[in-house]
Amino acid sequence: MRNTMLVGWVAAAAILFLLFAGGVATADEMKMVGDVVKIEISGPNAKTAKATLKDTKTGKLVTVIVNDDLTLDKFKDHRIVVGDEIRCKYEVQDGKNVSKYFRKTAGC
Amino acid sequence: MLLAGVAAAKEHPGKEYIERNGYQGPSTCEAQGCHPGTAKEFLDTVHWKHASPVPNVEGLEPGKEYGMKNRIYTMCNGNDIVNHLKEIPASPVTGKTKFAGCNTCHPGNHISDVGSVGKDAENAIDCLVCHASKYDFRRRRAYKDETGRVVMGQDRSKEAALSVGRPDVRNCMVCHESAGGGVLIKRGFAYARETDVHAKNGMVCVDCHAAKNHRIPTGFDPNNWASDGIRVSCEDCHKETPHKDGDLNRHVARIACQTCHIPRTGGAIAKDFTRWTQGADKFYEPTTLSKEANETTPVYAWYNKTVRNEPHFIGPKGSREEMGSRIYPFKIFEGKAFFDKKTGNLLSMDFAPPMSTGDALAGVASAAKTLGIKEYEPVPGWQTIYFGSTHLVTKEKALTCFHCHSRNGVLNFRALEYAEKEEEKLTNASIYFDKMAEQQKEEW
Repeated sequence: MRNTMLVGWVAAAAILFLLFAGGVATADEMKMVGDVVKIEISGPNAKTAKATLKDTKTGKLVTVIVNDDLTLDKFKDHRIVVGDEIRCKYEVQDGKNVSKYFRKTAGC
Repeated sequence: MLLAGVAAAKEHPGKEYIERNGYQGPSTCEAQGCHPGTAKEFLDTVHWKHASPVPNVEGLEPGKEYGMKNRIYTMCNGNDIVNHLKEIPASPVTGKTKFAGCNTCHPGNHISDVGSVGKDAENAIDCLVCHASKYDFRRRRAYKDETGRVVMGQDRSKEAALSVGRPDVRNCMVCHESAGGGVLIKRGFAYARETDVHAKNGMVCVDCHAAKNHRIPTGFDPNNWASDGIRVSCEDCHKETPHKDGDLNRHVARIACQTCHIPRTGGAIAKDFTRWTQGADKFYEPTTLSKEANETTPVYAWYNKTVRNEPHFIGPKGSREEMGSRIYPFKIFEGKAFFDKKTGNLLSMDFAPPMSTGDALAGVASAAKTLGIKEYEPVPGWQTIYFGSTHLVTKEKALTCFHCHSRNGVLNFRALEYAEKEEEKLTNASIYFDKMAEQQKEEW
């Protein structure tokens, strides 16, 4: 009986730990609108790029890492250029802002 | 050697000519007997005219062509006429101007604009924006020339011309993803591996929308009126009995493929042209509620490929009784704009004034002036639009028996003209229980 209870407590503690650890590992998603002030890609075959945005609310510069092919393609053929206004969502992973959503606000 | 042969077959010929002579536009494409007469031919397509005869929509003037050139509806309250590409007056806050307009995506240079004809128009066609894989979009920007005319730039560089070929998804999406006021706003689908089985299988837009002499086949979207007169449908590739299961094949007669295979939609759900919201750049945009691709559910209706067109409603016609009708999914959208109290008709809007100052009625006044409408009484009102839902195709997540034939199923059988007793029968597990129980056994 005591063994059964002990196993129960250990299991509960493990679940709590996993939930807590999971919460820590899942970075908060940040949202911003800002103008592109700099795009750094390292050549036509680059699989990653850095884009610096000037937050329109705070005026602060935020650099995000962009890894998705669609946005990288738009950097390479200049559909997205310095001066464009962007709606961006990113997560902080290992101290870096990793883009999860990077779209021009403008349409036709 | 075989692979080399395949690669060589994909290579577009004439590159030596371009290397030697550079690229001057359509004349280069037509030089040396290549693509003769193509530029003139292109001027008679929907991509150039933004209009065509529209035989399947009610309430239109016979003999007149319709399309984004001249239509008014509440996803795009302007059109190429009243809201043509122009320099928007300076924002009172920043003092900056910008270029905007419905025909920003027109593949001309704006001097030769929507529907223009003649040699200048032929020379103005931007072939490479659709056909080059290395187009530099820094060159495709609007600017004012020395005489003050607004010109749309083009990339006619040798590098772009040397990358010419069949249009890829990117070429099409340059314009088609940002229609209606932003990325994925209007149609709300992302043509990507994650969201569409055709994209996952490596297909590009023109595999289905396969052009014939630059005439692009389209489906029968109730809100996409202009067409090149040729149509695309699932049955062009998938036969009329596409399933192994006979029960599913029996559904095909009255249920469109899209109904089961496109269970989600996305994009703008509602927009208000009477209330413009100031953005970060201090210019205004119509207030818009939008969702991602796959975030919203469609509405289902009978559709016989003809369209009810009224000031407050644009959507499918059809009925259960009519054997040519099938149940289709639609993306539903509601737009608020100004209607003329005198005629009941929707009024159009020039976006330049509200974009600069937020004054929506000034936009209505400017459009009325352009159209020669002297008397009108603007009152706000709503319009409901049914958009066709024909992308975001899925095989794995397709609807199956219980998605429709259950009490909480996606189909509203009463709204689809079924009697109460029929509904009771159609939403009972007895319809599919034995079959699904067998399937479940096989799966596990």
